[in-house]
Amino acid sequence: MNLLDIRNLSIEMDTSQGPIKVLDKMSLQLREGEIHTLIGESGSGKSLLAKAILGFINPRWRVIADRLWWNGSDLLSMTPAQRRTITGRDMAMIFQNPRSYLDPNSTVGEQLREAIPSGDLEGLFLRRRADRNTRVTRLLHRVGVKNHDDVMNSYPFELSDGVAQKVTIAMAIAHKPKLLIADEPTTAMEPSTRAQIYKLLERLSVSQGMSVLMITQDMGSIIPQSERISLVYCGQLMESGPLEEVTKTPRHPYTQAMLSMSLHDTDKMEPKQRLTGLSGAIPTLQHLPIGCRLGPRCPRAQKKCVQQPRLDKVQEQLYACHFPLTYKQSDDKPDAPTQPKSSDSDKEQ
Amino acid sequence: MIRYTLRRLMLLIITLWLLSILAFSLNYLFPGDPLTNMTGVRTSDPLLYEQLQQARGFDHSIVLQYTNYFSHIISGDWGQSLVTQRPVFEDMQVFFVATLELSLLAMSVAFLAGVPLGVLAAVRQRKLSDRIIMGVSLSSYSIPVFWLAQLFILLFAVKLNWLPITGQINPLYNIDNRTGSILLDIWFSDTDYKLAALRDAAQHLVLPVAVLAIMPLTMLVRITRTATLEVLQQNYIRAARARGLSEPHLLWKHALPNAMQPVVLQLGLQFSILITNTIITEAIFNWPGIGSWLIKGIYERDYPVIQGTLLTLAGLILLVNVLVELYHAWRYPQVRKELYAEH
Repeated sequence: MNLLDIRNLSIEMDTSQGPIKVLDKMSLQLREGEIHTLIGESGSGKSLLAKAILGFINPRWRVIADRLWWNGSDLLSMTPAQRRTITGRDMAMIFQNPRSYLDPNSTVGEQLREAIPSGDLEGLFLRRRADRNTRVTRLLHRVGVKNHDDVMNSYPFELSDGVAQKVTIAMAIAHKPKLLIADEPTTAMEPSTRAQIYKLLERLSVSQGMSVLMITQDMGSIIPQSERISLVYCGQLMESGPLEEVTKTPRHPYTQAMLSMSLHDTDKMEPKQRLTGLSGAIPTLQHLPIGCRLGPRCPRAQKKCVQQPRLDKVQEQLYACHFPLTYKQSDDKPDAPTQPKSSDSDKEQ
Repeated sequence: MIRYTLRRLMLLIITLWLLSILAFSLNYLFPGDPLTNMTGVRTSDPLLYEQLQQARGFDHSIVLQYTNYFSHIISGDWGQSLVTQRPVFEDMQVFFVATLELSLLAMSVAFLAGVPLGVLAAVRQRKLSDRIIMGVSLSSYSIPVFWLAQLFILLFAVKLNWLPITGQINPLYNIDNRTGSILLDIWFSDTDYKLAALRDAAQHLVLPVAVLAIMPLTMLVRITRTATLEVLQQNYIRAARARGLSEPHLLWKHALPNAMQPVVLQLGLQFSILITNTIITEAIFNWPGIGSWLIKGIYERDYPVIQGTLLTLAGLILLVNVLVELYHAWRYPQVRKELYAEH
């Protein structure tokens, strides 16, 4: 069974230009112990989805969904108090810029001790204190911090980025959540630190059966251990599926563009060759195109694209496109577009 | 931290030294004879005057005159009052304690009331209680102390007759003025009416302390509110709240300590303003402290007294500011990092 099951989730906010759907019919399924990577450029609404899962949405925005299920129970029909209990018990989140999530004026140890749920402790008084300390030490070991005494006695500004992120992860997993949402946790980190954090997240997901929803900006920083990935553009789901299949045989033009932009194969490129990518820029919230929002930038777009495509499925791979890339059996090269490109006037929508 | 402490102490010593130069030069800038201004001895006896001149190094260069003056200041010989002929340094000690009692009480009242009110206003932002607190604090901030003091006397002492008008204590209690602090004096006295005397002294304290506390209190309310609001928006507060920490715990353990960081620095500044107000308040309430002594000295052209009070008050303000800065750096370690990039 899916741990998290989201079907057609939309978030609507009222602006002076009328209501705008910042998230448009997003769907996402997450199994227990799975690492799922959500990819989207800034402003695509990927962090908003995380907030919607946790229930931290501005109350003036409307959240509509066919389904927002957590572990088989409907989150949307719950009272806020019930929902807070569930999110507090089962979910946790880590962010980029970890140091700003630590109190600058108290030591790391104090903050970690605070994060240990009091219900877990055994014994009375002094025993409890000692138990709390051993639990903190164990927690630090689990996230790969070996010099626990040094770290516990430090103030957050004395930690490096990687260690600070490990500490926030330790705080997040202190109450053994079922889902960890990681919102660009390694942005602006050195590659070696990034690899450490990835490895840690994978280990935690394996050893504790914890699902991880990883949010990143580009294909280049997909956590290699992730089983599935989803691509979001302007609040719409473009493609979703197992990592291997999506990267090998992308069905959606957006996925293909993102893959070609991630500069994985620079060695195959000619010197001074033009970099590939989508033309144009991400539209602002006030000027979202109708239908498929990639439309005006999409190389395969046609008149039909002003209607939002339904999610289609090829094996495990989901995509929302009228003119997907197709592949012959056992061939990883996409075919030519199914129909010749029509005139530009069609794309003006 | 040791390095920082040493640097602050060096700064304190250097500033005090500069202050002594200023006080020394005042002897020449005040009207009248520099030697009389310095010693407070007014004599028509030429022999005595010559002795004084020699003792004070007035037959030597100005530099030697200064070193001579400085050693006198250090050894506690601050001259004598031109009016009462009593040694300034001895009088100053008593007056100083009286001033310290008043200003420290006022500062504690301001701190103990201002910080919780500021936090309350921040937590209940844009609600009625916030608006009331901010409105009252802004309007009382704009009332000058001398006027407020007289209003308070008129209302609470004359009209309602709740509190005494001026002074430290009813003279009937016959308490010897030994330390300067009226509360300490009563405590160490052997009167049979200790409790009644304390009560009376406390009643005398209410009005001047209230008048003095209002200015720093309103400032502290406003600064605390702004600082708390800013801290409450920080990521670590929101993350802690999301982790399920209770709101009181969050305020007490994370919001307040961080919000106090700018407030602590303000305490030093507020203390300087408070001392200025103390001078006025003491004069109005006839409080036997340095302030009223200074104003009396100014009226009577008592230059040694003016000099002595100036040295004391400026020294006190400097010392308090250095102490506040030291506490700030000790309590908030990243301040030290910003200063030296080390810890």
